[in-house]
Amino acid sequence: MSTEAKAAPRKRSKRLPLTYVIAIVPVAAALNIVGGYINGILKLPIFLDMIGTMVTAVVLGPWWGALVGAITNIVSSFISGPIGLPFAVVNVAGALVWGYAHSAGWMSKTWSFFLVNILVAVVCSTFAVPIYVFIFGGATGHFSDVMTAAFLAMGQNLIVSVFSSNILVSLADKIISGYVGLAIIEALPANLTEDTNLPKAEGLNKIIIPVVGVVIGAAVIMIALALQ
Amino acid sequence: MNNKTVGPKEGLGFGIVGLGLLLAFLPSTAQKIADLEFVGSEAFVILLGAVYVLAFLVIAGGLAVAFAKFDDEE
Repeated sequence: MSTEAKAAPRKRSKRLPLTYVIAIVPVAAALNIVGGYINGILKLPIFLDMIGTMVTAVVLGPWWGALVGAITNIVSSFISGPIGLPFAVVNVAGALVWGYAHSAGWMSKTWSFFLVNILVAVVCSTFAVPIYVFIFGGATGHFSDVMTAAFLAMGQNLIVSVFSSNILVSLADKIISGYVGLAIIEALPANLTEDTNLPKAEGLNKIIIPVVGVVIGAAVIMIALALQ
Repeated sequence: MNNKTVGPKEGLGFGIVGLGLLLAFLPSTAQKIADLEFVGSEAFVILLGAVYVLAFLVIAGGLAVAFAKFDDEE
């Protein structure tokens, strides 16, 4: 018995060439920064600054994703002002949830992949709301401030108003980020993604699944805006 | 040709380095945030809150180091 156990092949952790990591981490951070910058210019009711974080957390691991999240908000705070820096912890927390959920095999099915994105949204809001309320007093100049004001006008207190607006925006953002990230991972070289455990899709489904995910994310925010 | 590879151990290390970078930038940023027109908080309170949140993540990193099994170690 013990001999069989000794003879069994030892499971080895995924090891990647350092070159891949050096290539992916800065590109993912740049993707986040560009996404966040475009979002800021267009005043979209989402964030778009965690797509690269998702890709890195899944392909390289949760803590590489955390590094991307930290780099993203540090660099973007030099470009767009200091508001983004405290929100780095949100980016880091999102990376850890995506990364560890992937390691646990929670992202292998289409429905569980969707649920993990929702879990990421909830965790991110949990970290973001205290930053919004206690550091910025509830407003940062983001589009979601309009929704917060609407909830305040309904008679809710500040924390509930900020959480309500942030969770709606975060749900849409993380669903879109998750499925755009899935499409990017599908497009990466096969030897880089062979150890990933994501929903399997063949042919046209490779495009359809991410598109449906993005449409669902966009629908969430459109419904939220319509209810205002 | 560079054949060096990296695994979860290195990822964990550099992720914690990222948290350290955030901590390093926070003191100067806290004052800049406090100077914004729509922010009513003092720099110290902003720094205090941000450090508490980062401390939570650093502790999570420490626990990950303590409990992770790195099968790739030779």
